[in-house]
Amino acid sequence: MSPVAVPSRKMLVLAQDPTVKVGGKVVTAEVDVPDEILSPGPRGYRVYVVDFDSSSGLLYQPAKVPVDETRSLARLLDDPAFHAQNVYAIVMRTLSRFEFALGRRISWSFDGHQIHVAPHAFRDANAFYSKRDRGLFFGYFEDAKDRRVFTCLSHDVVAHETTHALVDGLRERYTFPSSPDQAAFHEGFADVVALLSIFSLPGVVEKLMTRKMKRSNDKFVRRSELTRDALQATALFGLGEEVDPRHDALRRSVSIKPSKRLIHTAEFLEPHRRGELLVAAMMNAFLSLWLKRIGHLARNEGATLFRAKVADEGRLAADHLLTMGIRALDYAPATDLLFGDYLSALLTADLEVQPDDSTYHYRETLRGSFAAYGIMPTSSRETTTEPGVWEPPPALKLDYSRTHFDAMRQDRDEVFHFLWQNREALGVDDRAYTRVQSVRPCLRMSSDGFLLHETVAEYIQILNLKAAELSKFGLTQPKDMPGTLPITIYGGGVLIFDEYGQLKYHIRNRILNHTRQDRRLDYLWKSGSLTPGDTERRFAMMHRLRNTDGLRASAETECADAESF
Amino acid sequence: MPNPSNPTGVTVRSYQVGFGDCFLLTFHYPEEDRYVLIDFGTTGTPDGKNKQRLLAIAKDIAKSCHNKLHAVVATHRHRDHISGFDTGGATSPGKIIRDCHPDVVVQPWTEDPKAKTNAVEATQTQVENFQLAFAQMHAFAGQALQEIARLKAFSTQDFGPLGFIGEDNLANAAAVRNLMTMGKKNFYVNAGSPSGLEAVLPGVRIWVLGPPTLKQSDLIRKERSSDPDEFWQLQNKFWTIQGKPPSAASLFPGHEARQLPLEARWFVEKAAQVRGDQLLQLVRVLDNAMNNTSVILLLEVNGKRLLLPGDAQIENWSYSLGKPQTTALLKSVSLYKVGHHGSRNATPKTLWNLFANRSTQASATRLKTMVSTMAGKFGSEKSKTEVPRKTLIAELKAKSDFFSTQELTGSALSPSHEETL
Repeated sequence: MSPVAVPSRKMLVLAQDPTVKVGGKVVTAEVDVPDEILSPGPRGYRVYVVDFDSSSGLLYQPAKVPVDETRSLARLLDDPAFHAQNVYAIVMRTLSRFEFALGRRISWSFDGHQIHVAPHAFRDANAFYSKRDRGLFFGYFEDAKDRRVFTCLSHDVVAHETTHALVDGLRERYTFPSSPDQAAFHEGFADVVALLSIFSLPGVVEKLMTRKMKRSNDKFVRRSELTRDALQATALFGLGEEVDPRHDALRRSVSIKPSKRLIHTAEFLEPHRRGELLVAAMMNAFLSLWLKRIGHLARNEGATLFRAKVADEGRLAADHLLTMGIRALDYAPATDLLFGDYLSALLTADLEVQPDDSTYHYRETLRGSFAAYGIMPTSSRETTTEPGVWEPPPALKLDYSRTHFDAMRQDRDEVFHFLWQNREALGVDDRAYTRVQSVRPCLRMSSDGFLLHETVAEYIQILNLKAAELSKFGLTQPKDMPGTLPITIYGGGVLIFDEYGQLKYHIRNRILNHTRQDRRLDYLWKSGSLTPGDTERRFAMMHRLRNTDGLRASAETECADAESF
Repeated sequence: MPNPSNPTGVTVRSYQVGFGDCFLLTFHYPEEDRYVLIDFGTTGTPDGKNKQRLLAIAKDIAKSCHNKLHAVVATHRHRDHISGFDTGGATSPGKIIRDCHPDVVVQPWTEDPKAKTNAVEATQTQVENFQLAFAQMHAFAGQALQEIARLKAFSTQDFGPLGFIGEDNLANAAAVRNLMTMGKKNFYVNAGSPSGLEAVLPGVRIWVLGPPTLKQSDLIRKERSSDPDEFWQLQNKFWTIQGKPPSAASLFPGHEARQLPLEARWFVEKAAQVRGDQLLQLVRVLDNAMNNTSVILLLEVNGKRLLLPGDAQIENWSYSLGKPQTTALLKSVSLYKVGHHGSRNATPKTLWNLFANRSTQASATRLKTMVSTMAGKFGSEKSKTEVPRKTLIAELKAKSDFFSTQELTGSALSPSHEETL
């Protein structure tokens, strides 16, 4: 049994920023996008490209895509219609990749079906997703050598921003201030998706395996020369012939030497730096898995291998990790995410669809790679089938008799009914305002070729208190916090039902968990971010700061409420 | 019997310059008075007669000091602090001040024209300068103002605050040049350095509490891994990119659309607002950076201390407030010139709470506070950024003898208020 294929078509995109050249050529790829009837823009059922440049006040003609791809690349790069095609196709491919991994349609977080994309939004070295404006904005600028740089032509950047929009649709609380991990997760995860998306494009890994190896050529490579260092030194990780320094930030993560100490240092409290640890853990796992797969091609160190086959093993490893990484989001808590939660989610999601991991040991490799950067799974119970995975709920006496599972597969009120009915057994505090955010039926392909039906429901809980009341609930009032200060605390959970409607997992953050709440309040109080401000446009500032580290100081103190009148 | 070489007191005169600062300090020595002008600029006056008002004030200063200023202090280069030094036009306030022949001009170390591009502190020996970053910042402010004009065609949003901050950050080359050349001696100071005023103000104890150099600033060091070279490169690079002329011309000639499609209208308006927000964020970063170059002076005259912090904000203050010897000095401040026109970030609570002379009861020793400001120009109550910040003003009124230049009303062009210690 397999899903019915949806008609698709291929579109030409840039696989790397045009400044990354291999053999003197810009790296391109053909990607599959749904074969839909597009209006000029292009304007499709999920993406609407509006080519408005607010810096010059000019609107460019809505593009008709696909463009004539037989023209030279130089001419394509000068054509705004190709820029529009590039963003449309990369956004659609990223969306499709999420939908494939999660086994269902994915909604944007805002009220609407089509996300707007402005490929030449403004003259600024910046690109970001804005929920409030239902859009992705890509800037352009002239670099130090007066060359015009279009961020909409950077595959990394487009996939990264699209990932922000998609994650926000799946877990809207993740954009709120909570902990250094949560702030870092959006950035690190978007980088992971961007990198693995590119590596999973057919033919791209082979093009980017630029490292010259003495005993290898265009067609064959010597097994003994395929070392971790050699693969890491290829253009895959940014060392092309001509690389824009902006790529360093994304790919340098791989070169962070494993250390369990880094995550506890002040330097890695900053969201982008901390996010790099997540990227480092995932990309080093990718390298390990690629090497394992190469090892399966030939055990003999002296063997000669087809270069294309070696590259394809890399593509497959990237593709599998990408699916795992996205699928984990369904198993991640609804609020206050920690890296350890994400790792447990990653391991659990994969165990559900691939119980047998004995060929390449993906989960063991990931556990090892994360541990090397000091990230341990949150779930440490010994009762689980494998280390680090979430524990199934104990044999609870749950009451299924008053709800209808058919309705629970799509109806938030019915899920809330179930939650309310079982609030005691599930440990849901009924003093908190509780809301079911989403109910999502999923259909995922398992390793035995069957379809795995699951229903994922997400709920959040909110309690409004005064700081002085915290101690009544067993929570700690941070030092110097005025007792009259209004405080909002959050909790919530994810309910995963199996195909028979039985609760399989309840991944939750109990609202009055004092360890988590004390840590969160202390962090927010000390960092001056108790008032979240405009979270819907937060990426605009975050992303500029990435390009301009030196300006961070003055921008961040805007929130220094503890110090200011 | 007082020492004839020491002043017996000081009078601080605050002029009504609207949104700006202008303070004339008169040090009363037994034999003579000595005069120090601290800042002279505006970005907006209550009656809108900015030029006439600055000219009238310059004349009043010249008359008051008998055409002799002993020193000029320009705390930082924002227009609301230095536009009065502009020498443009046949009669200009800047020329009048120049003709008062200040012996000493004091500015922050960041203004040192001879500092290297990677300078971490002021120097008199290097030939290159790192003012490129300032030039690019000013250029960006200019570009931002041009962009706002275009954005107005697509959005009904109020871009007022953006225009105001943008204008305050425009270059004022004539004033900068005048400051660089009007004095017999120039001093570019940093936290802990001599002020340069010692020679002209004998018997006055003077401490420079800010701005810190990059070497001194923990905040910057933390952010930039103690690599000042990289810090300045980033600043230059960033503002160079931002400061380039906007491409009003088309990116793709021949591909422009003639009409705005109906279905794109909603998003185009949003995109214009997003750009407005971005520009506002950038000019705020710019504005904060400039404010944080402010010279912070603490003077002690006949046992009374005056604190004059320019527009220094939390980042600038953090260096000195982290030092116990400085916090001990600040306890006995008698007169506080409220920082940055009463904004929320320029009077850190940690500073305010140090002042031992704060009191809800009137007395001869009660703390005096003076603010030069104009409401309605900057920030909004909704975002808690209004200047002056209402909560701060309420605190100042409750616990000090408070004066605001907003009390100087009427049609006179150079009204002022004096406090004598």
